[in-house]
Amino acid sequence: MAELSTKERMAIKFVHMPLNKAELRIHNFEEVPVGYTLEQAKQEAQRCIQCKKPGCIEGCPVGIDIPAFIHLIEQGKVAEAAKKIRETNFLPAACGRVCPQDKQCQALCVVGKKAEPVGIGGLERFAADWEREHGTYILPEIPAATGKKVAVVGSGPAGLTAAYELRIRGHEVVVFEAFHRGGGVMVYGIPRFRLPLDIIDEDIHMLEKIGVQFVYDMIIGKVLTLDDLLVNEKFDAVFIASGAGLPKMLGIKGENSSGVYSANEYLTRIYLMQALKFPKYATPLYQGKRVAVIGAGNTAMDTLRTAKRLGADVTCYYRRTRAEAPARTEELEHAEQEFLNWKWLHNPVEIIADENNFVKAIKCEKMALSEPDSSGRRKPVGTGEFVVDDVDTIVFSLGCDVNPIIPSTDKEVRINKWGIVMVDQKTCQTSKPGVFAGGDAITGGSTVILAMGQAKNAAVGIDRYLKGELKWADANVPTDPNAPGVQWEGRFSAGKR
Amino acid sequence: MTERTKAIIEQINMDNEEAIGKALAQSEKLTDLSAEEKAELAAAYSTLFFHDYAGRSGMTRLAMRAEKQIAKFGASVLGFLISELTDADHESSAHFGRAIAANGKDAVQPVMDALNKNRENDFAMINLLGALAYFRDGETLKAMPEILVAAKAKNPQVRSAALYAAGRLARHIGSDAFDAGTTLKMFDTAFEALTDRVPLVRYNAARALGKMLTKGMLTGEQEGKMGKKFDGILGKENNWDNAFIVRHEAAKYVQYFRQDGSAKNKYFQSFRVLQKRELCPDTYYYTIQAPLIAKKLEAGQFIIIRPSEYSERIPLSICGWDREKGTINIIVAAAGRTSREITQMPVGACLADIVGPLGQKAHVKKHEGTCVVIGGGYGTGAVMPTARALKALGNRVIGVVGARNKSLLLMVDELKGICDEVMTTTNDGTDGIQGFVTHALEAILKRGETISHVLAIGPVPMMIAVSNMTKPLNIETYVSLNAIMVDGTGMCGACRVSVGGQTKFACFHGPDFNGHEVDFDQLMKRQKMFVAQEKEALAAAE
Ligand SMILES: Cc1cc2nc3c(=O)[nH]c(=O)nc-3n(C[C@H](O)[C@H](O)[C@H](O)COP(=O)(O)OP(=O)(O)OC[C@H]3O[C@@H](n4cnc5c(N)ncnc54)[C@H](O)[C@@H]3O)c2cc1C
Ligand SMILES: Cc1cc2nc3c(=O)[nH]c(=O)nc-3n(C[C@H](O)[C@H](O)[C@H](O)COP(=O)(O)OP(=O)(O)OC[C@H]3O[C@@H](n4cnc5c(N)ncnc54)[C@H](O)[C@@H]3O)c2cc1C
Ligand code: SF4
Ligand code: FES
Repeated sequence: MAELSTKERMAIKFVHMPLNKAELRIHNFEEVPVGYTLEQAKQEAQRCIQCKKPGCIEGCPVGIDIPAFIHLIEQGKVAEAAKKIRETNFLPAACGRVCPQDKQCQALCVVGKKAEPVGIGGLERFAADWEREHGTYILPEIPAATGKKVAVVGSGPAGLTAAYELRIRGHEVVVFEAFHRGGGVMVYGIPRFRLPLDIIDEDIHMLEKIGVQFVYDMIIGKVLTLDDLLVNEKFDAVFIASGAGLPKMLGIKGENSSGVYSANEYLTRIYLMQALKFPKYATPLYQGKRVAVIGAGNTAMDTLRTAKRLGADVTCYYRRTRAEAPARTEELEHAEQEFLNWKWLHNPVEIIADENNFVKAIKCEKMALSEPDSSGRRKPVGTGEFVVDDVDTIVFSLGCDVNPIIPSTDKEVRINKWGIVMVDQKTCQTSKPGVFAGGDAITGGSTVILAMGQAKNAAVGIDRYLKGELKWADANVPTDPNAPGVQWEGRFSAGKR
Repeated sequence: MTERTKAIIEQINMDNEEAIGKALAQSEKLTDLSAEEKAELAAAYSTLFFHDYAGRSGMTRLAMRAEKQIAKFGASVLGFLISELTDADHESSAHFGRAIAANGKDAVQPVMDALNKNRENDFAMINLLGALAYFRDGETLKAMPEILVAAKAKNPQVRSAALYAAGRLARHIGSDAFDAGTTLKMFDTAFEALTDRVPLVRYNAARALGKMLTKGMLTGEQEGKMGKKFDGILGKENNWDNAFIVRHEAAKYVQYFRQDGSAKNKYFQSFRVLQKRELCPDTYYYTIQAPLIAKKLEAGQFIIIRPSEYSERIPLSICGWDREKGTINIIVAAAGRTSREITQMPVGACLADIVGPLGQKAHVKKHEGTCVVIGGGYGTGAVMPTARALKALGNRVIGVVGARNKSLLLMVDELKGICDEVMTTTNDGTDGIQGFVTHALEAILKRGETISHVLAIGPVPMMIAVSNMTKPLNIETYVSLNAIMVDGTGMCGACRVSVGGQTKFACFHGPDFNGHEVDFDQLMKRQKMFVAQEKEALAAAE
């Protein structure tokens, strides 16, 4: 096949990711985007103009060589494409599905300036799925054992990535997970219609194959403390990736009524404990006919769409407007196709329960957006007008605070006033010697890919520490309780081998 | 067609939940149906089986009710059902299968006849084998030779269905009904199928073996052989089974092989039941192996158990532990599906998961006056660690145990071994003081003792009564709140309780709270949140 010219490439039509029909998919938990076929993937890959200065890589938190893998797909070398992605990203099948590409790589795609940006997420997913389905994955070589041992706390994206990066550097790695299965939020939060379980399980099996050990039902801080790990169990370093698992509520009247859930409880019951297969799986869910979901972030979209699939009439309540909704654009669009109701500019002020303490109604104040303040942000302000809607289930999807177990059991790990673990931004060292942290635990909640990026950074830090190149005295860990958590600036360059 | 069946059938054909519900209610009442009427109704109801009700749980439930209804028609419609079954689709075959199986013994021979007649018809074979999987009667084992022949059929789907049926029968028919010859043949057939070319067959083979294993049907030698093979499937010898479903299935059972020495890694705990003792009907005292947890438990803390892959995670208190032996003791009362599952586990079985220690330590210090620990039901065991801790600090500790009658008083002797004195109260006066635990408190106060600390664990009404009594007397009182929980680590908020007007997480901030500040009314109402679902879960397990 002759190489196409840029002009020819630009003329090719964007291949929309095929979706399952909204009318049908709201009755099941199957994945919504069905994935490209080989032909579709090749065509979409042809749209990439192979920039000399690709914007996309700049936008990717882990710096995947995007044009290179897309070019391989174009040539039909899909297995090689997957291998290319794996050089920098250990969870491509998950990232292709849940990363906010519209705010990262695709936002900076050069083609995107004139037309629809290249469907990078869809192509990444395609390559990863191909690899899994065709069994082309080749396990990485593990160098000779260094004799060093690292404990990873938590098996979410941050924990899994760190485990991989440390193992391929020859260290012994043990992952400790509080739940009975691995994956973190990818299992107990993100719904099955966005991320099927076997994808995560397969990645965990890969880690097992290269010798990473997993210990489930193990709460670090309770069963083994950090000191137990460092002193008694002789781990040379610990990486905390315990995530942001403390649900936020609003603190309004009636919040403890039956039928009021945090998104964490709601989604955990359904996806981790498999209430969606109730009664075969014993964990119950009280799910009424009219469900109110509070919030408009990713978690809220997931809750809304889950409730819809369980057969309810579902309404989203958000105190700002659609424009400010923090959800990933694709998620918001998919949700909007699914026959949900939207109440923008509604701020819940009270939950009304019946005599048995079951939710009966929700009372909201109607809001309006203020004039932009000095930072240009428009704040929602109350109008004094109230509405009461009949509902029988309410799910608070307001995000989470950092999991408090470890900091509460080891005071040497410094946290700020919001409970976020304080670290050196570059090396991910915490205030406790030998202990590093990453993922949602140091940001207070972000994304899969940022958690992975930090884990890679941390793995490099840990590796240097194990080699004696990193001293604790040089660590710059904020002491101000008002200091914010780690924010992402630029790419995580580390970890490319 | 008679008038009454006509009316019913019209409603069935409406594809409307309400109408079908009405039809079912009507026909369920009819006890004098003629054979002809039964046939008509069976034909009409079975049309419900052919829809795909994904997401319409109401309709699915109605279809299941229709199954039961048809099953009640008995032998006169069996022939019809079996012939429908032989060319039913995937969804509907399950409905037909269950309806047939509900006839129990009587249906075994007809299904076997159909099996023999349809040897050449793979499609029919698959459905018939699927139906056999729903049988619960020992008689069904007559069909095992046929099933095992089918497990070697040419068509992989037939093989797979046969192994599936064998696994289901192993799981649901008491292991006593199997004779050694049948078990041996089943084992050999399934074991051989682990190397089948088709993943689905291997999966069902692993599943069947797993069920035999968990039902205690295998000999030590067979277990050893199987354990090694499963380790291989999971990649211990570097050429694992390349199909995820097979590995996943195998992984479910490896815990049953892992004798203590061969643990997967140093931190792996196999939560084996070491001892089991019945305290009173439906209530058992257990000693369970959990070495790492035993090392860290403190008085007042609890654990969460998930006995099997399908169970809920349920919170349980601790009665004691042995740090050296690495064991913990618990009391489990069969309250619903998951607690019942635990009470059914025999000595030697392993619980899938135990997490802990959870919650905060009990509030113990040296008090001026007497400490009273009050237990009702499992709570009597739950107060023991705190009683020990109080005693260890030099307190005078009185134990109070309350129950409806003498036979339900638990752990009295054990508590006597810890406390300075133990008092019992029974509602009917068959032992100790007649009345409630509060009467024991009154008796202690009456004889002039000063009480400075009370801990009450048990049914909510008991904790309320104790708190109400001690509040005006200003006696420090702690209660352990048994809120409904999911994770038990503070991650979900299911266990929210109101204490002193503030929301607390019982699993993280508790479980012990100041009884004078607890909103018990809310707690009780929240405990009832899932009553309807709990019933359904229990029914599904039976
Ligand atoms: C509903 C929902 C939807 C989301 N959707 C998206 C999305 O579409 N795209 C996206 O990029 N991001 C999304 N996110 C965010 C993303 O999932 C998280 O940012 C990411 O998972 C953080 O990874 P982590 O490894 O830091 O923590 P987690 O994934 O939270 O993992 C932490 C793990 O540590 C375990 N743990 C905690 N404490 C202990 C302890 N003491 N001992 C042992 N183990 C412990 C926990 O059980 C858990 O398994 C979503 C989040 C939610 C809740
Ligand atoms: C901190 C704590 C310690 C506990 N210690 C013990 C113990 O040592 N031994 C013991 O047998 N039980 C104990 N329980 C209660 C036990 O957890 C419940 O009996 C169990 O969850 C019931 O689950 P199930 O699936 O068997 O029944 P379900 O079918 O879920 O429920 C059956 C009945 O039990 C009630 N129930 C459900 N969940 C709970 C709950 N969490 N607490 C109380 N009642 C509930 C329901 O309202 C229902 O009426 C404890 C509970 C807590 C929170
Ligand atoms: S910026 Fe867009 S067009 Fe350019 S290389 Fe990246 S994906 Fe291709
Ligand atoms: S049980 Fe989930 S927070 Fe307490």
